Amino acid sequence: MARPHIEPFVDRDVPFKKMTLPGFAKGMQYKMLSLDTDTGAASMTVMFENGFSQPPGMSYTDMEMFIMSGYLESDEKRYTPGTYFWVPPGVSLPALRAPRGCVALMFYNYAEPSFVESDEDHQLAEREHLTIVNAYENMAWTGTNIFPATATGCLVKILRFDQRTQAFTFLYCMTPNFSQDNISYHDCAEEAYHIWGTSWMMQFGNLPTGGYFYRPPYINHGAFACKLGTLALGRTDSQLYNHFHFNPWSTPEENRERAANRILSWKPELYRWIEQHGHNHPHVPHDFEYPNEGDPHAIAHASGVPHDHGDGHDHHHHEEKPKRRKKKVSRKK
Amino acid sequence: MVKVIEHKLSREVKAWLKREAAEQKARYKLIVEEQDALSPKRDKWVAEFLERIQTRGFNVHADMRRKIPASEIPKKPRRKFKVVF
Repeated sequence: MARPHIEPFVDRDVPFKKMTLPGFAKGMQYKMLSLDTDTGAASMTVMFENGFSQPPGMSYTDMEMFIMSGYLESDEKRYTPGTYFWVPPGVSLPALRAPRGCVALMFYNYAEPSFVESDEDHQLAEREHLTIVNAYENMAWTGTNIFPATATGCLVKILRFDQRTQAFTFLYCMTPNFSQDNISYHDCAEEAYHIWGTSWMMQFGNLPTGGYFYRPPYINHGAFACKLGTLALGRTDSQLYNHFHFNPWSTPEENRERAANRILSWKPELYRWIEQHGHNHPHVPHDFEYPNEGDPHAIAHASGVPHDHGDGHDHHHHEEKPKRRKKKVSRKK
Repeated sequence: MVKVIEHKLSREVKAWLKREAAEQKARYKLIVEEQDALSPKRDKWVAEFLERIQTRGFNVHADMRRKIPASEIPKKPRRKFKVVF
């Protein structure tokens, strides 16, 4: 198992622990939000104690950090709340201090948390991808620009977007009295932390300040509501599409099948090419919303109706009959 | 792009990962218990949701709503209603 479904979890309910992993400087404490038990990838709330300081250094995997309160500083710059870092593996950050303490979210994406003292980049480092922005000071709120979209009152600031996977990290807010009456699921894993505020989801109830979830793909969430507003940080591991529906009881397997069926409707040519590799024997994913709709050939195939395979010959499959077992004949000696 | 720079895991790191994995297992169990305990409330929320989408409408896209006719409302299956997987 990679990361389990952790939802909801409120980090206010657990104490900070001292970071004991080798390499990390003293004065760093953490709360584990979720851990990939295969790779060691981890999401954590981290507290740098008053007077914390660490030498220049790098990590073995890419690291994201979002400062929630207090500040970190280098010799040249102060990183205040709202600062977001995306640091590729092997890129050396300068020495950092937290004279008055600092609380941040930290994400190590493909391996366990690591810190290796070094004032030089590793030979494999891709420094050109290093991103440091202040989301509170330098960015404007926008609509989600994902269609179908969330209801009015859900706004985002995109902090990082991966061109290859379309994974993204974003700050989002829900305005007071936000509500959205649908159930959603995605093809991607989704993760979020409430920096401030409480929002409600029909499955899980209220998620307050300090609330967190790591949700694998195809899991229902919503309807949604938020009384007083919420500010949160979210992440996905690939493209996020809102598969909206209103069946509260559908399972992740049914949701995945429906998602595959929808791709057949949206991009039939691409789907056929990917799924059939040039042979028209489609597998028919089931859409619980439209049980009788879809590709006519696929339905014909699934239901055993005679149909043409492009060679002019009618063709249909019968359900395979169970093979009869031959009776064992005991031979008398 | 490089995702991980190859490195060896020390005994301390392996022990740390083992401890954290065990704690996460316990946390997951607690979440499932808490969510199971929420079932009566959740059933009520679901009933209210199904009522709202028939009267006020279901959000198809952004604020675009469609009132769902009673005939389209799904029936609760017999299996256990799970929300944590």
